[in-house]
Amino acid sequence: MAQERYEPGSEADFERLYRNTYHRILGTLIALLRDRDTAEDCAQETFERAYRNWRTWRPDAPVEAWLQRIAINVAISDRRHQRLRQAGEMIRRLGRPAPGPDASTLAERSDLIQAIKKLPTKQAAALVLRHYHGYTNREIASALGVPEQTVASRLAAARKQLQAVLGR
Amino acid sequence: MSDLERELEQELHRVLDPIAATPIPARRQAQARGATRALLGGAGAALTLKLLTGVAVAAAAVTVAGAATTGSLNPSDWGQKVTQQVADCKKKLADGQHGIGDCVSSFATQHGPAVASAARQHGDGNGNANANGNANGHAKDKSKDHPAATPRSGSTASPTLEPEPVDQAGTHPPVTITPHP
Repeated sequence: MAQERYEPGSEADFERLYRNTYHRILGTLIALLRDRDTAEDCAQETFERAYRNWRTWRPDAPVEAWLQRIAINVAISDRRHQRLRQAGEMIRRLGRPAPGPDASTLAERSDLIQAIKKLPTKQAAALVLRHYHGYTNREIASALGVPEQTVASRLAAARKQLQAVLGR
Repeated sequence: MSDLERELEQELHRVLDPIAATPIPARRQAQARGATRALLGGAGAALTLKLLTGVAVAAAAVTVAGAATTGSLNPSDWGQKVTQQVADCKKKLADGQHGIGDCVSSFATQHGPAVASAARQHGDGNGNANANGNANGHAKDKSKDHPAATPRSGSTASPTLEPEPVDQAGTHPPVTITPHP
């Protein structure tokens, strides 16, 4: 987790926080959401929400965990409205040729990553925080505001479902 | 660490680590939200969708119930059918019934409880004549036809038969009244 110190409400500190944590937040969202564009949009939404509450952030709480929590909430909202947005996208792209896949999208075409994207968001988030960002169960519990036992349950359920999907 | 967990970490790092090499875009300001997101996202949109769905389902239920009761999809037919039924029920009053509520109710419930429920809603306008006719209509008729009638002594007073209506057109045979024991 980031060890730097930040002053709540400071414009300069928030810009520094954005530079220091953007890639990690984006990584979480790419693992949770359907495509790179959506993840980038949700990363911006995450920092917008964080900025609105920046004055009330308490320095005693880990700042990156706070951002991860906001990002996961944004991802949950996005998945909920995914079908409506898909309809809007379809209307917007009518008559245009479908865009070809770029290199980053091709890199994300992994059976395991695709299986993670299909998990319930909270389970997938626990997996990514644990196995990509290296959080402990206690840190995940603190970041998500749930009991440590809940984190363990979500991780176990996620692994079980991944094994079933991947046939292992 | 299990094989799956090891593979999970390797795969996540393989896919997500290259992101760190990409440039960081300028931070978006709060006003620059996407039009699609603003239109289609948010709790307001979800609530509106639910509300519209509820209204559509209620309208469909009333239409289906009305059609099922009257056999017609035209709402104006529903009123005619109910008016006709009320008239028929009034004719049967001479058989010793009190009011036409039961008679009209049996018409409304002939297609089952679901239809009856919707029929009550649909009959709010013309159906008041049915439902209220039982009590109010009876009392009104009495006051019209028997202005000098003395009030009943109490709720336990025995019911009296209405006088037989005069068939002015002379198209119906006279009705024979058989007093109930």
